[in-house]
Amino acid sequence: MIEIQSLTKRYKDATVVNIEQLSIGSNESFGLVGNNGAGKTTLFRMILDLVKATSGTITINSKNVQGNDEWKKFVGSFLDEGFLIPYLTPDEYFRFVGNLHGYNAADLKSFLEKFEVLFHGEITGKNKYIGDLSKGNLKKVGIAASFIGNPQIIMLDEPFENLDPTSQIRLKELLQTERKLRQVTYLISSHDLNHVTDICERIVLLEKGQVIKDLRGESTLAELEAYFKA
Amino acid sequence: MISTFLTHSYKKFTRSVSFEKELAKGIFMGLLALMVVGYSLALGFALDGIIRNQLHQPDSLGFVNKMLLYYFVAEFVMRYFMQNVPALDVQPYLHLPIKRSSITHYLLSKSILHVFNASVLLIFTPFALTVVAKQWGTSAAFSWLASLIFLSLCTHYLVIYYKKKLDDSLLGMAALILVFGSFAAADYYQWFKFSDVSSFIFNRGASSFILVILAIALFAFLYYLNYGVIVNGMYAEDWSSEKDSATEWGKYSDWQFLRGFGTYGEWISLELKLILRNKRPRSFVLLSGLLLLYGLIFYRGDEVQKMPGFALFVGMFITGAFMINYGQLLYSWQGGHFDFTFTRPISVRQFIESKYWLLCAATLAAFVLSLPYGYFGWHIILAHLVMMIFNMGINVFIIMNMAMWGPQKIDLTKGSTFNYEGVGAAQWIMAIPIMLAPYVIYLPFKLMFSTQVGLLAVGVAGLIGIALRPYLITLTTKRFTNKKYEIAAGFRKE
Repeated sequence: MIEIQSLTKRYKDATVVNIEQLSIGSNESFGLVGNNGAGKTTLFRMILDLVKATSGTITINSKNVQGNDEWKKFVGSFLDEGFLIPYLTPDEYFRFVGNLHGYNAADLKSFLEKFEVLFHGEITGKNKYIGDLSKGNLKKVGIAASFIGNPQIIMLDEPFENLDPTSQIRLKELLQTERKLRQVTYLISSHDLNHVTDICERIVLLEKGQVIKDLRGESTLAELEAYFKA
Repeated sequence: MISTFLTHSYKKFTRSVSFEKELAKGIFMGLLALMVVGYSLALGFALDGIIRNQLHQPDSLGFVNKMLLYYFVAEFVMRYFMQNVPALDVQPYLHLPIKRSSITHYLLSKSILHVFNASVLLIFTPFALTVVAKQWGTSAAFSWLASLIFLSLCTHYLVIYYKKKLDDSLLGMAALILVFGSFAAADYYQWFKFSDVSSFIFNRGASSFILVILAIALFAFLYYLNYGVIVNGMYAEDWSSEKDSATEWGKYSDWQFLRGFGTYGEWISLELKLILRNKRPRSFVLLSGLLLLYGLIFYRGDEVQKMPGFALFVGMFITGAFMINYGQLLYSWQGGHFDFTFTRPISVRQFIESKYWLLCAATLAAFVLSLPYGYFGWHIILAHLVMMIFNMGINVFIIMNMAMWGPQKIDLTKGSTFNYEGVGAAQWIMAIPIMLAPYVIYLPFKLMFSTQVGLLAVGVAGLIGIALRPYLITLTTKRFTNKKYEIAAGFRKE
């Protein structure tokens, strides 16, 4: 589904991403971990064609993401607040994104019902702009919006950060339920090893822009903990 | 206490992350202040001579008294555009044992240290000493001067009150338009003469002391009005008041009919929400509205009859005010959610095209609103039409392309008085090609043939631009696609 070939990103002398080969299959749940500055967000931005690679290619469904708008129809993403529009209310924002994906009012309503548990009655139906929401609520809005249009690929950067414990658990359930209902590929980066190993079958560990470990199976969490302790 | 606040302000200035920028701004403001002082002082000494010799008014004091009310109205307008509301980041002080009242008094008294408050003193002191003292006696002259100083301070606090309380609300704007409109109408239709009212107020001779008492009373009243506003504004929920004030405008910003235009409609309606719900872009709209009146200054005289090419210049600003003002920061406005724009299903071309239609629609609207200028002659409408076409065909592409030059993110919630965020070299240089372009085409044709041919040539050039629109948009799209990453990286920097 996503193919990365000899991808590098250099800023002056520093190489922030350097990946020889990485492929993420369809319906895979892919987790990305690594300490600060490992290049996780830069890699995500390159997949979304927001940062230009110094060399190498990224393809989604065998089409280069660069200079191509087709993938936008089936990739949902939320990396940071730059993906939100501060002067809209959450309702207006969902409606706007929904319209871009051809949702009608009924589609949007049934879509939002799915997220009511996560929203906890604090997001929709309020006359408050996104710019005035708390960090946790911003996160919820962004995550929900990344699901609009039933995208085949969903990319989330630190989805659990700033969420209260209840919301973290609910979000985890939501992500797992979605995968049971339909085919979807997750790309999730996180510092929370427990959460990310719960959701993702495959974890890639990034350090200084390079893939250090590519882990699957039961022992993943133990291996990660051993690595980060050292 | 006051000295502590002052040292904190000083430290905030010198230790600021953007110290160089702040310093440059400070030097610029300092030069501006020197200029105001210099001009005021020069005007002060020359006032009597100018009135008697240039304006041929033998009774210079009577003339000044007739004009004073106009002076204060002008002062209000100038202060409105140039003066900031006094601000101290009060949040870090509120939990400390400092009285709210002393913070407020500090803010209000510090605000008086402003160059505008010196100008009335500089302009009228020489006049009071030389002319007024001779005619009315020394004590009356001092009363007269004192009353002017206090009235000037009244406008100072009136502006602060207006900005704090009414600015940015529909009510406040309606009030302002109503007041100025009725003054203008009263003067124009001669219901009563504004200058007579002014004369009635200020031409009091020996009884000037009454005026001083009234001025001081008004001053005290306005001071406490502001005091109340600031003291009551020191609560946590008010700190985001700039955002909250947008809700009133928010109600009028959802233009449903635009959804009929598909993706373009969606994006244009999003941008309209941006404009109407945020203070700074909204003030750009207001400014563009005011520029519609620009023609009144020029078309009343007969300069335009002598120099028809001049109407082109005026027409460019009238029809293109919004395009130029808003367009110079075209990409910066959405800098905060630039990543959103390019991960959602919209192509770069659609993005560029939606900007194009927004700017052109605003230009068309400005042209329609400028039609009443036909009162001054049909040739003015012709010049405006020609400039509208030129703006839509040529200038819009100049603006859209130049705005790509290193745009910076704009914090939408900040106000606009002396806010240069997002304004870089490109924004200053942009004015040159925009202003020269129509003349490069107009002048050769005018000199070789006639004015009409010159106007025609400008119009034809605009039409060619409009005809080549798909091609020019493709070109703009290509440039933008190449610069997209650089622009996005710039927006991510704080």
